[in-house]
Amino acid sequence: MDDLIKTMRISGAGMRAQGQRLRVISQNIANANSLPQDPGDNPYRRKVITFRNVLDRSLGLELVRAGKARPDKSEFGKRYEPSHPASDADGYVLTPNVNPLIEMTDMREAQRSYEANLSVIKASKAMLNQTIDLLR
Amino acid sequence: MELDKPSLFSIVKKQLAWLARRQEVLAQNIANSDTPGYKARDLKALKFKDLVRNQSSSLRMAATVDSHLTGGLKRAVEFKVETNRLPYETSPDGNSVILEEQMAKISETGISYRLTTELYKKHLSMLRMAIGRR
Repeated sequence: MDDLIKTMRISGAGMRAQGQRLRVISQNIANANSLPQDPGDNPYRRKVITFRNVLDRSLGLELVRAGKARPDKSEFGKRYEPSHPASDADGYVLTPNVNPLIEMTDMREAQRSYEANLSVIKASKAMLNQTIDLLR
Repeated sequence: MELDKPSLFSIVKKQLAWLARRQEVLAQNIANSDTPGYKARDLKALKFKDLVRNQSSSLRMAATVDSHLTGGLKRAVEFKVETNRLPYETSPDGNSVILEEQMAKISETGISYRLTTELYKKHLSMLRMAIGRR
């Protein structure tokens, strides 16, 4: 019975990690058009988040944790727009390195993992209820 | 009814403990389905032999002097967690968890748990019948 309660903690940590990932994804999508203010400035840089499995000493369990959101090192895009206040001498503006298609795919993946964790909690709950039913 | 023999109750107890522990391992896999480098794990399958092994019936050596060692009994089985050595596929970041496979295992565990609890109830009702109550 204790193991089943631990299961819920583990899945809960998984859901929280996916939630944090979704937050970073939404930040990326919201900033997909954040262009620089002045020439020489950088536009929004895409952020990525990775997960680690770390031991939680108070629970004696390994729980998944989301690391810090770190910048994506890929190149910025360029767009020809001479009238833009941040355009360089050749008339180009740097654009964020966010690809909406990748963000959408990541979002779907986060959603699926979240659902998987949720169904584990449901399954564990059903098992716990069956155990309690033995008392009747 | 011999209570010192491995009764259905003790088998059910062990089986339920194994299933609950397996559920925990599978939950760990699913929570880590996007963790780079994580390898899927599972519990070592429970054998019938493990279920019927009765710890109280094993013989102990006689100790006639205090300094004799009687040889310890086998400890209560701590179910062994194994890493899946040959996963179906591993993603480029080194993660070998396949969500579909894990979900299938979760439902398998749920069904076995249900079966075991139902068996327990059935056995209990048979005992009730034997003592003349319905």
